[in-house]
Amino acid sequence: MARRKKSSLQPLWIIAAIALLAAAFLGSALFQSTGNDPFRTVAVLDIPAYLDNANSLRGNIYKVEGEVSNSLAWSPSSGRLIAVDVKDDTIPVLVTNEFNAINIQKGQKFIFVIEVDENGVLKTKDLSKA
Amino acid sequence: MKKLCFILAAVTAAHAQVPDSQPPASSAPAPAASQPASSSGTKGGSQQGFLGQDVPFFDPGSDIVQWNGKSWNINNNRIFEARFEKFLNAPEATTESDRDYNRLLNQIMDKLAPNTISAKSTDEAFQLLPQASEFDIDARLCDAIANQVYASWLAKRSNERLTAANQSLEKERQRLEWNSKMTAAGSSLGAPSSTDGAAAEEWKKQQQLKRDMEMQPLATRLVEVNALLKANQLKREVAELQVKIEFQALIVQHFLQRRFQHVVIGTRFYRSIFSDGDSLLRVGEDSKSLFSKTTGMPPTVGTLDSLANEAMRDVREGVQAFKFLLEKDELESATKRLAETFILGEYMPEVRTITRDDKRRALAFVQKSNQLISAIEVKDYALAEKLVKDLDVSAKDFDNSKPMAAIETARTVAAMHIAKAKNAAVSGDKTTLENELKSATEIWPRNPALAEVGGMIFSQADVQQRALVDFDQLLSQKNFRQIFDDKMRFIAATAMYPQKQEQLRKVLDDMAIIEAAIIRAQEVEKRGDYAGAWESAESAFLQFPDDNKLNQVRANLTTKAADFVRALKRAEEQEKKDQLGSSLAWYLKAQKNYPASDFARAGIERINAQLLPDAK
Repeated sequence: MARRKKSSLQPLWIIAAIALLAAAFLGSALFQSTGNDPFRTVAVLDIPAYLDNANSLRGNIYKVEGEVSNSLAWSPSSGRLIAVDVKDDTIPVLVTNEFNAINIQKGQKFIFVIEVDENGVLKTKDLSKA
Repeated sequence: MKKLCFILAAVTAAHAQVPDSQPPASSAPAPAASQPASSSGTKGGSQQGFLGQDVPFFDPGSDIVQWNGKSWNINNNRIFEARFEKFLNAPEATTESDRDYNRLLNQIMDKLAPNTISAKSTDEAFQLLPQASEFDIDARLCDAIANQVYASWLAKRSNERLTAANQSLEKERQRLEWNSKMTAAGSSLGAPSSTDGAAAEEWKKQQQLKRDMEMQPLATRLVEVNALLKANQLKREVAELQVKIEFQALIVQHFLQRRFQHVVIGTRFYRSIFSDGDSLLRVGEDSKSLFSKTTGMPPTVGTLDSLANEAMRDVREGVQAFKFLLEKDELESATKRLAETFILGEYMPEVRTITRDDKRRALAFVQKSNQLISAIEVKDYALAEKLVKDLDVSAKDFDNSKPMAAIETARTVAAMHIAKAKNAAVSGDKTTLENELKSATEIWPRNPALAEVGGMIFSQADVQQRALVDFDQLLSQKNFRQIFDDKMRFIAATAMYPQKQEQLRKVLDDMAIIEAAIIRAQEVEKRGDYAGAWESAESAFLQFPDDNKLNQVRANLTTKAADFVRALKRAEEQEKKDQLGSSLAWYLKAQKNYPASDFARAGIERINAQLLPDAK
């Protein structure tokens, strides 16, 4: 009588199941993390590159997330110029008049969609609280 | 002595002195007029003096000698000084020859002395005269006396012959007078009778004619004899008078030459030859008046004799006084007495035998005195003061009041002018400086302080010029730090240059700002606030980028506040490139590093203003 083949795949199945479970967990987690960023398709501003040479970024649109550290100036025609701390750096962001309805205060965290204009000024195209 | 001096002293060797210079006749009255007229002995301002114009006249009241219309002070006369100094340097006349000569003169005088004189002693004295004249010091004066004595004797013999002739003529005159008388008496022998009137008348006429004829030769001869008598008498008197005058002239000459021993010898010979008692000097009215007014005696040979003896006594006393004063170290008085004695008795043995050592002491005083006079005349008061001190030490009786008064006065006035000159130099008043220096120089040309002040001024000028050159050079190099470090030197140098003074003032003001910034930076650094310290240095650096010290401080602080400085510098760079956004980011970064940063705040405000011109 032919010897009956021993069942050796059972651990593999276990491992595969675990892997599937892990992948499912990670995918779920990833889905969860990007699910709250409305500008997840917009590139993040390279702060060092900006500080080094803003001309190279001129005309591009980026997003930057940071905490409002100071209100630098306010112009009725141009909007509000605020200082935003991003990690160790602080960058100026011009919040144009179209966002006048949004209260922006020191210490608040926002995600700004900005455009680098010709003077290297970061003009807000969109924003949302982080 | 005074009387003696009046006639003699000054007469001081007519052969010994002449005026220093011979000014034109027109200028002669000037010095004469400056002398006291009352003591000059001149009449009514005329130059008529003793023995006319040919003999010097000395006024001891003013020490002025007048001769030939010229006047000079005997104490300040080059020739007298030279003669006196020659005497002071000469060895004493104590040789065998000198002693023999003096012994001979004394013998002659002894033989002619009034109490011992005789025909024999007179002859012996006469025989000694040629021996005495062989000595150089005698200058043949004894020969002159001998000649005059011999001439007088010849004249006397001639007079004796005239006397004998007159005696013969007198007899002849008496004989002629007798004969004339007899002839005039006539004779009555052979006369006609008185009755015959006509014949008697005729006879009388013939007799008268005969008497007249006989009387005429007698009368003529008598007149001739009388005339011869008178002529011989006159001739004798004239001859004697002439010899007397010659002899007197010789004695006066010796007197004027201050050869008093010869005067005594001459007068004694004169008296032995002319024993008629007539010793009156035949001199002019002026001289007579001079003798009678000054000596109180008529001008006679005896007057000269007594004056000569008085002079010799005075010389002896003068020499004794000199030696005594010398022993007491009273050189001033000793020298004066010696000078007076020398004037009077230059040829007297007492003067000539003074030892050379004694004379040299007086000479040293005379030389220094003369040097002192010269030093004061040329206003060399430093030398004058030294000489006064020397004289004070060497001569106990030296009166330093007059020279010291002159020296002190000059020193004080000169010092005042120099002080004014110094003040003028400090204040830059060149006109006053020059005037005061000129005045000080006129008062005391060789004032050592003048050289000192001159040197100081010239040195000051040199230092000043060098400082000004350095200042200009440092200014052109913008080396204000060096100017600041040497500010005292440049402040002094630019004192007289308003334009440079203004430049220096600006430099020093700027440096004050720099120094204040440096001090402030260092103080802030001590607190550990490197960024603040750097800002303080940087603010000054922006204004004064060429100051080395500031640069060094700034560089040190740059290292210590590197992140802050780097942020600021990057901000400035981006600002210059119109990268306002990046620039503002860097300023914000700098401000984050040093929130109190003025530079960062200013940069932020500046960028804000550009980005939001209408910002409120």
